[in-house]
Amino acid sequence: MSQTPILQVRHLQVHFPFSSGGFLRPVRGLIRAVDDISFEIAEGETLGLVGESGCGKSTTARAIVGLVKPTAGDILLEGQRISDLSERAMLPHRRVVQMVFQDPFASLNPRMTIGSIIGEPLRVHGLARGRDLQLEVLRLLDLVGLNPRFLNRYPHEFSGGQRQRIGIARALAVQPKVLLCDEPVSALDVSIQAQIINLLMDLQQQLGLSYLFIAHDLAVVRHIADRVGVMYLGRIVEMAAAAELYDHPLHPYTEALMSAVPIPDPVESAKRSRIVLKGEVPSPDREYPGCALADRCWLVEDRCRVDRPTLRNAVGREESAQQAACWVRCGERGDSLQDATGADS
Amino acid sequence: MNPPLLSVEDLHVSFQTDEGLVEAVRGVSFDLGQGETLGIVGESGSGKSVTNLALMGLIPRPPGRIDRGSAKLAGRDLIQMSQKELMDVRGRRIGMIFQDPMTALNPLMTVGQQLTEVTRRHFGLSRAAAQTRAAEMLEMVGISAPESRLRDYPHQFSGGMRQRVMIAMALSCEPEILIADEPTTALDVTIQAQILELLGDLQRRRGTSIILVTHDLGVVAGICDRVLVMYAGRVVEQATVTELFASPRHPYTLGLLRSLPRLDRDHSLRLEAIPGQPPDMTRVPAGCSFRARCPVALARCADDTPPLREVATGRSSACWHDDARQPAGVASISPDPSPVAGG
Repeated sequence: MSQTPILQVRHLQVHFPFSSGGFLRPVRGLIRAVDDISFEIAEGETLGLVGESGCGKSTTARAIVGLVKPTAGDILLEGQRISDLSERAMLPHRRVVQMVFQDPFASLNPRMTIGSIIGEPLRVHGLARGRDLQLEVLRLLDLVGLNPRFLNRYPHEFSGGQRQRIGIARALAVQPKVLLCDEPVSALDVSIQAQIINLLMDLQQQLGLSYLFIAHDLAVVRHIADRVGVMYLGRIVEMAAAAELYDHPLHPYTEALMSAVPIPDPVESAKRSRIVLKGEVPSPDREYPGCALADRCWLVEDRCRVDRPTLRNAVGREESAQQAACWVRCGERGDSLQDATGADS
Repeated sequence: MNPPLLSVEDLHVSFQTDEGLVEAVRGVSFDLGQGETLGIVGESGSGKSVTNLALMGLIPRPPGRIDRGSAKLAGRDLIQMSQKELMDVRGRRIGMIFQDPMTALNPLMTVGQQLTEVTRRHFGLSRAAAQTRAAEMLEMVGISAPESRLRDYPHQFSGGMRQRVMIAMALSCEPEILIADEPTTALDVTIQAQILELLGDLQRRRGTSIILVTHDLGVVAGICDRVLVMYAGRVVEQATVTELFASPRHPYTLGLLRSLPRLDRDHSLRLEAIPGQPPDMTRVPAGCSFRARCPVALARCADDTPPLREVATGRSSACWHDDARQPAGVASISPDPSPVAGG
């Protein structure tokens, strides 16, 4: 535990101002895409980030690599703050964190050969030239399981799974320590998904990489992640070891999310009870003083609407690594939950 | 047993593309019973969507063509019908919902105009009666304040709500068959759960038959009665949902089930991925199309295409291993590692 985490995110906020309603009656507001989240990733660890569309998981990754500017908060790489560095000062740090995108069709330049796509980051960072560059690109192709003969081909000649391998090779070119994988398998067919998941896990073993693995598919995340953070409306509502989170979800939202995932087994599927949340994820342009789930939660109490819960251990489980932001499930030292148990005895 | 409501026989559909002729559907046959939910699973390019577009007469010609086959709805062949005859079937007897409700709804018409259009067209309802009916339908699919929502445009609805509007529209003429093509793929899991629950509930109440096209085996396990597994334009396996998941017969089905990470299982270190990728549909090799990726392929698989044959009552598979299904053979491709007793 004494080791500095490779990536630390502290109180990150990303707000997007917007205006709508036209010229005469402008309406201004703020989308709170990421609303004060903190987490860290250790060397060689995989942190999964799950949540539904619009919960802020992709924005978090984009803020870490500098594709969007954080409104507040700090991002630390290997213990060093990078969130307030200039473009130029940032460049060496960019090597440490690389990104793998969802859509292998949109994230590769169709007019560049595979060789130049994978070689480009090496040139930009001045890591290799000429013959060395060529050899390095061949090594990367081999690393991700692509035939070196593909060097001079164009992206359209490849299938989705192969393109995702190219995207991974490009990300690995600068020898990063952290890969941010944003829905890396969700655009792929079922039979290809497993190939890419296996590749990512092999590469992690070989290269000691850390992953931030963002996906809406909870089964995929359970398979690959050591720890998982659950996001809802820009906030992390639960953080726990993967097995713990899936077996004993603490936050009501996590519980509902888990129960909604279809299980490919008709017998198990029929046995499960489903928690169907009322309504839909509300708009992030409103400010929620209390818990963001309050309007849809079946456990809601008065204070949930007023006080914002922070991530905490459940009462009586202070040693556990499982934390949730829920007044009801986590209880509060010396408050109603203990009173209730006191009344029982 | 009652005769099937819909009976598809040896359907062949091809498309002329820049890369050459694509035989998207190559001899698909199946029956759909009254009140049954039939799942069609397969990967992109397996022909599952094209099969259903063909039933609806929605294959664009050119470049598409129905080369052969029939699809009899209560005895009448949909494939032979004129566009005019099909107009009376579509929406009235067969309803459809698609993956992306945003592109399936007209953005320039209010939801009310779109909902009333179908009932006025098929039932000849008056404007007022159609309006009342539309509000009832919205209420049935769980949209609150239906009268006022009728005046809204599609963009004023969220993704889940738009899919509810699509379902309301598809069911407003009380069709006998509902074709749902990836109805929840664009939705988040909690919204998916709501929509699947709604579909199941509507079916129980009205006895509608459903064809559910999906790539998600979890969705299939949750709501289907029977399943067709498609690969490269053909049906490779057909079984009841319980049988399919408990004892998949075709190596492709087995591979799919094994390659899935599952929430309810302890995850082993590696997933058992199916190697390789589906064939290029402009150059489908002779013989079994799965053979290049198949762990148990035989020499024979390269030359002869295995036909879809009944292997047990009500279930069929297209694999040469079904021929010589000795206990050893069963064990080698069975998901259950325990050997078959006796032998």
